[in-house]
Amino acid sequence: MNKIYLAAIVTTLAMLGFTYVAMDIKGGLNDDIVNQLAILGAVVLVIATVFVVTKYVRQMQTDKATGDLTEENWDGIGEYMNEMPFGWSVIFLLTIIWGLWYWTAGYPVAAYSQIGEWNEEVAAKNASIAQRAANLTPNEKLHLGKAVFNVQCAPCHGTNGKGQENYQTGDLRAENLNKRALSKKYVEKVIREGSNQLGYAGGMPPMMLQDDADIDAVATYIEGGMKGEQPAQYAVCGSCHGMNGEGMDFVAPSLTAYNVDLVKTLLTSGTKKGEIGTMPREAKILTPLQIELVAAFVANGPATELEE
Amino acid sequence: MFHWLEKRPFFFAVGVFVVIAFAGLVEILPNFAQQSQPTVGTKPYSTLELTGRHVYIKNSCNACHSQLIRPFKSETDRYGSYSKSGEYAYDRPFLWGSKRTGPDLMRVGNYRTTDWHENHMMDPIGTVPGSVMPSYPWMFTNLADVDTAYAEQLTIKSVFKVPYSMGDEKILIPMEDGTSETVEIATTLAGANAAALEEAKLIVADMKNQDVKDMVAAGKIPEIVALIAYLNSLK
Ligand code: HEC
Ligand code: HEC
Ligand code: HEC
Repeated sequence: MNKIYLAAIVTTLAMLGFTYVAMDIKGGLNDDIVNQLAILGAVVLVIATVFVVTKYVRQMQTDKATGDLTEENWDGIGEYMNEMPFGWSVIFLLTIIWGLWYWTAGYPVAAYSQIGEWNEEVAAKNASIAQRAANLTPNEKLHLGKAVFNVQCAPCHGTNGKGQENYQTGDLRAENLNKRALSKKYVEKVIREGSNQLGYAGGMPPMMLQDDADIDAVATYIEGGMKGEQPAQYAVCGSCHGMNGEGMDFVAPSLTAYNVDLVKTLLTSGTKKGEIGTMPREAKILTPLQIELVAAFVANGPATELEE
Repeated sequence: MFHWLEKRPFFFAVGVFVVIAFAGLVEILPNFAQQSQPTVGTKPYSTLELTGRHVYIKNSCNACHSQLIRPFKSETDRYGSYSKSGEYAYDRPFLWGSKRTGPDLMRVGNYRTTDWHENHMMDPIGTVPGSVMPSYPWMFTNLADVDTAYAEQLTIKSVFKVPYSMGDEKILIPMEDGTSETVEIATTLAGANAAALEEAKLIVADMKNQDVKDMVAAGKIPEIVALIAYLNSLK
């Protein structure tokens, strides 16, 4: 037998032996499919390598150059007119076909787009949310509203909506949303200067009460949460805000509670900037459904314990 | 054909050039597309905003905050619409960041306000319980460097043709609603400082810290005011 074949067999056995020993040292196959595949791959690699190397070494030893030469001759160096290797030609043709597809359809039409994936994801989520939203129980609405509130509102209004304190003065730095507590100073200011921040169309006109004593009486009445005897002058206000201050949807806000209409209007079209600070325009981030949910949650009182 | 080319070095060189130039075109041409232009509604920074941006960079806010909203639903729900390349047209350098210890700030101007930042920069834990963001009390006393920001504006205006209006020259910048706006910069250094001070007065009107208000009233601009102007401009 040729020495080459002997060397090949010895090398193969040696390499397989090494692999076996190494595997044993590392703890064996452990019945793990990944380990088994890795070892199988190693064995195939060893045998294939030795086989190919042997074949070509044999060829170099025995082959003689024969065949026709091409016409071209470069300084005495010629080239045989060999057949193109079959596998190579097939791959070459397939590459051309793939290239045509990629340029005309693969890239322009079927390419992966992250924005496209985002569009699909959002559309699918919105559809499933809309479907679920149609059948929500009031309690589920409150829980979902709470989730929106905790992400978008709690950083300013506090986790339970009770507000947070200013580091210097100890004053609240965003309204406590559990209780509508209008300060007397603020009500007086609104009566004198009007207000156009909550997003109600047209806002509230200024100077509907002229007399200082009237203003004082109405403001005192509203500040306490509409308690005590109602001053006669409040009738002016009642036409919009309701005789009990409960507000009128789309016309004027409630003066006694953060009702759904107030929160919704503020979030969709208002920017409130008062004594405390500025309430940002959240609507740029929130969807109409989220506004609906968070408004229901706020109207319920953010600190109220929710049922499971 | 190749035989013919191989014998003619000149035409061979031309052929090589054409093939390589094609690869160049594929990379260069898209830069002229509409998507590569500044997004409609993107304005260059005003003098005070740019000053604040320098404060942001100086304090390495970008080590903890990214400014890049990825197109994932979880991100667009929280921060607003995903970032487009044209929105960074006037960011030199951009502050994408690579790590989010804190939240993304690309559009923080939409949902945080002057008074909130004032509290938060002084006392992050008091604002967001459990926050690991450091407090930056020195910004309330250190003076902001308006001169450098103005120098940068002049430079990027003449070198990169950033559309700042200056003097009689008015450069209109298209806005989303179809109108157009201008961003003016002063013609002199003193003018730039005066303009920054005017901007600063609008910011401190919404602040509560009396020392900061007094400084601005006395014609000085603390870093915090410039920083807030910058954060408010992120939309
Ligand atoms: C024409 C209808 C109308 C009348 C009359 C009216 N209001 Fe109003 N009021 C409004 C509207 C609309 C708003 C919301 C303004 C806004 O969008 O900021 C408002 C807001 C207010 C607010 C501020 C609520 C807040 O949270 O900012 C107070 C306080 C108030 N009104 C008190 C009064 C008093 C007191 C009177 C009587 C003197 C009165 N209003 C009469 C329409 C009216
Ligand atoms: C950046 C901080 C901030 C965020 C975020 C924020 N708010 Fe506010 N909000 C304020 C401040 C400050 C005020 C008080 C304005 C004033 O009267 O001085 C306010 C006022 C309000 C008011 C009106 C109070 C009144 O009496 O007129 C409502 C309602 C409200 N916020 C609801 C919300 C809801 C719901 C969210 C979440 C979607 C939210 N806010 C997010 C800061 C914030
Ligand atoms: C050590 C990391 C770290 C550094 C440095 C840092 N931050 Fe923060 N930042 C945070 C974390 C964590 C939060 C979230 C908790 C909070 O709001 O305090 C945050 C929150 C914020 C928010 C609120 C964002 C939101 O959506 O609620 C703003 C604005 C902000 N940082 C600005 C800055 C600025 C400006 C600087 C540089 C002067 C800075 N941060 C430096 C970690 C950091």
